[in-house]
Amino acid sequence: MDELFGLSMNIIAAVSVALTLGIFVILAWFAFRNPVMFKQGLRNIPRRKTQTALIIFGLMLATVIMTAAFSTGDTVANTATNDIYDLLGEIDEYIQWDAESNPAPEDQRVIPESELQRLSGEFADDPDIEGFMGLSFENLPVVSPRTNLNESNALISAYDPAESGLFTDGIKVLAGEFRLGGNAIIINEDLAEALDARIGDTLELVFEGERVAVVVSGIAEKSPMTGAFDIGSADQPGGAIAVDFFREVTGRSDSLDIIIVSNTGDARGGLDRSSVVEDKLTPALEGTPYELVTLKDDGIRFVKLASSFFTTFFVVFGLFSIAAGVLLIFLIFIMLAAERKPEMGMARAIGARRRHLVESFLAEGMGYDLGSAIIGVIAGIGVTYAMVAIVNSTGDSGLGLNLRVSFTLRGLLVSFCIGVIATFLIITVASVRASRLNIVSAIRDLPETKPINPEQATWFGYLRGLLNVMAAFGFILLFFVLSFRVSPIFQLLMLVGLVGPFIYVLRGTNFYLPREERLANGRVPLWPFFTIIGIPFYLLALLVVRLTRDRRPSSAPLWLMVVAILVPPVGIVVAALQDRERPIAWGAGMGAFGAILGVVLIQWGLDSDGAFFFSAGVSLVLLWAGTLLRHFRIAERASMTTVSALVLVYWYSPSSWWEPLIGELNGDFEMFFLSGITMVAAGTFIITYNLDILVPIAARLGSRAGRLVPAIKTAAAYPLMARVRTGLTIAMIGLIMFALITFSTINENFVQLFLGDDADGGWDVQVFTNDNNQVDDLAASLDAAGVDTSPIVAAAEARWTGFGEVEFKDPNFDPDKDDPEDEYLGYPLLGADTTWLETNTFSIKFRAAGYATDEDVWQAIAANQRLVVIDQQVALGGGDGFGPSSLFTVDRELTEGFEPFTITMRDPGTGADTELTVIGQVDDSSALFFSAIITSLDTLESIYPDASTQAWYVKLDGGTDSRAYALTIESALFQASAESFDKLIDDQQAASAGFLLLFQGFMGLGLVVGIAALGVIAFRAVVERRQQIGMLRAIGYQRSMVALSFLLESGLVALSGILMGLLMGVSFSWVLWTFGEVDDQASGTFIVPWVQLFVICGIALLASLLMTYFPARAASRVAVAEALRYE
Amino acid sequence: MNENITDPIVIEAIDVHKTYNTGTVQVHALKGVDLRARKGEMVAIMGPSGCGKTTLLNCLSGLDEIDAGTVTIAGTDISKMADDRKTDFRARQMGFIFQTYNLLPVLSAAENVELPLIVSGVRPREARQRAMAALETVGLGDRGNQRPNQLSGGQRQRVTVARALVNRPSIIWADEPTGALDSATAKEIMDLIVDLNEQEHQTTILVTHDPKVAARCHRTIHMADGLIVREDDQATMQATAASAGVL
Repeated sequence: MDELFGLSMNIIAAVSVALTLGIFVILAWFAFRNPVMFKQGLRNIPRRKTQTALIIFGLMLATVIMTAAFSTGDTVANTATNDIYDLLGEIDEYIQWDAESNPAPEDQRVIPESELQRLSGEFADDPDIEGFMGLSFENLPVVSPRTNLNESNALISAYDPAESGLFTDGIKVLAGEFRLGGNAIIINEDLAEALDARIGDTLELVFEGERVAVVVSGIAEKSPMTGAFDIGSADQPGGAIAVDFFREVTGRSDSLDIIIVSNTGDARGGLDRSSVVEDKLTPALEGTPYELVTLKDDGIRFVKLASSFFTTFFVVFGLFSIAAGVLLIFLIFIMLAAERKPEMGMARAIGARRRHLVESFLAEGMGYDLGSAIIGVIAGIGVTYAMVAIVNSTGDSGLGLNLRVSFTLRGLLVSFCIGVIATFLIITVASVRASRLNIVSAIRDLPETKPINPEQATWFGYLRGLLNVMAAFGFILLFFVLSFRVSPIFQLLMLVGLVGPFIYVLRGTNFYLPREERLANGRVPLWPFFTIIGIPFYLLALLVVRLTRDRRPSSAPLWLMVVAILVPPVGIVVAALQDRERPIAWGAGMGAFGAILGVVLIQWGLDSDGAFFFSAGVSLVLLWAGTLLRHFRIAERASMTTVSALVLVYWYSPSSWWEPLIGELNGDFEMFFLSGITMVAAGTFIITYNLDILVPIAARLGSRAGRLVPAIKTAAAYPLMARVRTGLTIAMIGLIMFALITFSTINENFVQLFLGDDADGGWDVQVFTNDNNQVDDLAASLDAAGVDTSPIVAAAEARWTGFGEVEFKDPNFDPDKDDPEDEYLGYPLLGADTTWLETNTFSIKFRAAGYATDEDVWQAIAANQRLVVIDQQVALGGGDGFGPSSLFTVDRELTEGFEPFTITMRDPGTGADTELTVIGQVDDSSALFFSAIITSLDTLESIYPDASTQAWYVKLDGGTDSRAYALTIESALFQASAESFDKLIDDQQAASAGFLLLFQGFMGLGLVVGIAALGVIAFRAVVERRQQIGMLRAIGYQRSMVALSFLLESGLVALSGILMGLLMGVSFSWVLWTFGEVDDQASGTFIVPWVQLFVICGIALLASLLMTYFPARAASRVAVAEALRYE
Repeated sequence: MNENITDPIVIEAIDVHKTYNTGTVQVHALKGVDLRARKGEMVAIMGPSGCGKTTLLNCLSGLDEIDAGTVTIAGTDISKMADDRKTDFRARQMGFIFQTYNLLPVLSAAENVELPLIVSGVRPREARQRAMAALETVGLGDRGNQRPNQLSGGQRQRVTVARALVNRPSIIWADEPTGALDSATAKEIMDLIVDLNEQEHQTTILVTHDPKVAARCHRTIHMADGLIVREDDQATMQATAASAGVL
């Protein structure tokens, strides 16, 4: 894996290692400067072993998730690259007929031997090319008379054994020897397994009905030299025979299908010369109808991209868990700070400065941090093994690979460093927060008194908050100044601070233009960065403030504050002269800063058509409104609830509602994370600001619970008192539950849509025949083979063209901008006979005008030449997961009663164009097995006679076992490969379920975070409430009631998070699905997998209660007399 | 004077031993204490810090386990009771007043007072009525909805007294009930405890450092080093306090 989010992993590694080293240097400096405080921090670590264990556990999760994500990427990359090296061996490139530039019938797309001789001669002494060899192949059925087994499609490679040493010497021989000549055949391991073949067996190759005997001389591993070309395909039966014998069997002349090329160097080393060889061979092929394919290089490039996709997927979804982990770490350190408060107060009383406390706390925190990062990396490796095992057990990783766990030192190092850095940042914030204590309150362990801010609820205070936030952010933003080149005019404008850039922006932006014109230059504008780079001027202010902090202030009027914010040089002076002892409304300042950032993001989103930036901007602006109202003490509950509700309203509103205002914005799955974070934050605000309404309702509901009433009463009372803890925990659990519920619900809807039982179109068995041995009448052939055909209700013939075999003219092609090669794009064409068209059960999602029923559409296709229906992929397009789609897509979205329109198909054999008329879009359920443009068999044969892939679709009567019947067909017809749809759908569903399980397991790591938070809080509560527990026990609370009270309290908090996640997840999924937000292709009835969701919620609640059980038990066992005596 | 020699003995401790094991050191907190208290009697326990006063109170009230000896409350040997039974017994028979109030900060005054009733199975509506009545008795009828942090120290201790009395217990255990209060508030609280003792006729065992408080009790037990070393009647204590100039 070389990239993450488009950034080079080497750069990420270098930066993260540098930052980590920087952290170590800072810590070493602290230890050197004040060893006593440093030691005090470190010695706190072993004081409470259970708590230490819990903290390390909580802190390590971010590292675990990063390690697992990176290692999965590395595993996919390494497995795939090794598979490519193993499969291709010495073959680096090959030369083939260039059908794109030189249309020709398929049987003429061959290379004469003379071309091989020419190239061999021309490059005989080339230092980069080791050799060439010609290769021919055919797909043939192979029958084993001894075992009575057959394989309908085995790729048989043929070459000259005398010339093949370079390419075959490295192939591992599993049995016999690698000897070709006469009728000897080397078979690969897959064919050997399919036929249960042994050395010396006589096999029969079937070519156009004729059987030719061959003798197995060797069984070898898979390679193009043994009939296996596909990178990433698990099952590739094939073999190799001598080219002379091949020509004898097939009657072919001395033509070759491809010429393979080996670069100088071994299997891996040869790859380095790939581009050099390409530079040499491409000119050599100029003027010929042939082209060079850099097979190994392309394959390696693809798997690297695929592994990046895997890593990005897990990192993005891991962000939910990491976000929850960040909250947990913060919570843990709030708790630790509370515990250490008396000690810190004492230290301050005897002369320790605030920074000493920060250093001591940092020393302790980093002790946990380092321990947890190391354990996290180890645990992450364990999680990777588990994930890989799950992927492999599903039988389909999406890449057809049998994954082998693999790590790179770089990946592990980055995970470790990111864990250390993230935790360090959070601990620093928590430490600074903890160090701000009132000495007397701290020593007596009394609640911290909040200093009164006389500027609260005033505009002056608000502006001063903003001024200070600007100053604080200055140094961060310096980065941007250094990162971008700024024009001289802009530098001048920066002198007038924020006003200048905004004037510049308003003058320069084309925001008011229609979307098409706005995007005319086609690139994301960088000005949003520029608008804020005026702020670094405040860095200087920060320094001046630092140097002059003991000066007493002169007061500044409100107008001067406004000018100070807008004009940096004035701001420097005002910030420097302000009263340092007066509390600053940081929240208000952050809110205003957020608002500015929000507006910038909204604008950026509009300019770049990016939904992520637009939505983040809208959410930030709304949250700023919340802090504004709060600063001015406007009914906090009402204002925060309203603002949070507005955030939810924004996220719940389908993008189609916004489109008339803002145009169409694009978003990918990073939107899922943003929506989750924002919605859960809003939901948590609503819950915590209304807890005092919600909790008494819960308590009242329990007021008839007899002797449980006291437990319920106390359980309901505590979460109200500690809103921050309660809110953080609800957010953690809610966040993960939201992700789990949404993903599971959407996944289930996709499964129902694409993997439902109607995906088979009403057919029971599909039969593909060998290209060289096709079946004219399936039922008759089965009859002839003695198979009882009475269960067959219908047997329909269809022919397929593969991807790229025929192409369609891209209606969106722009000759001025696009690559000429992209004028025609590939998509399969399915020509079905009348039986198929009349019998299939697919409904037509949208019918063209003039077609009243689905039957009308199918009958018209059967009766008329050149009518087609398209499927959802052609209608709506969409990426293939690794970038923009390279498949053919029409230029319009279909609706019911659309006007029929034409698409143009090109036959690459002749270069002839044919117009086809679209009269419908088939139902989405066809996507799994019939992903094609569908027309009649007659049409296909008339416009593209080369369509060679023949398929039969069989409908059986109700009582027949389709799986057994498929096996019967396969054993009766050597050239047939039959599968029951029932089995195919089951396999697909199992693979989908396996992937869902993998995802749920991965997200489960995040749930562990939330549950750990409950444990941390509950353990802390036992310590904090020891005396209260003693009193309760003294006045008659049974042990069980104390324990129950703790369990109920945690249960209430967990349930709030779980219910929030469940409600938001389900409702959000409904919006996404119903309004086509998740995928344009998704539509249809929305399904909620309640059972699955309740199981997830049940597990979460049970795990929460289990986690709380231990502290609850500890609470119930508190020694009453001691608890009452000591605090 | 409430004490009467014909009143039944409510508390009887015989040869009570208690040792704390702190891991490396064993502290013999009680070394064979004998004590009796009759119904309605107010007994003060005095002594220097660490002499075992609070330990004795905890052991007598069943909050702490004893190592040897017997503790009989109203004819029932609580030293052999299982924890759940003992807890129920405490809820029905005893009320507690602590120096640091030990109110639940998350509950209102009325909710704190009604807790012992609710754990005893009294219906919530009746529990609230009785809690309000108890608060009325201690002069806080109008503060029922306020939380502990909204009350002064004296008011908090009054809530504690109300909580101790609300279940009409036969015994009140008070550990330094005036220890955290200024002298005027301490006097108010002691007046309240004495008045209630006279009205309700409960047995009250009270640990204190303050001779003025002890002088309000019928009898004072002096402890030293885990043993009862002397007993004084009320007149003696009043005289002692007066001579020390504290009364």
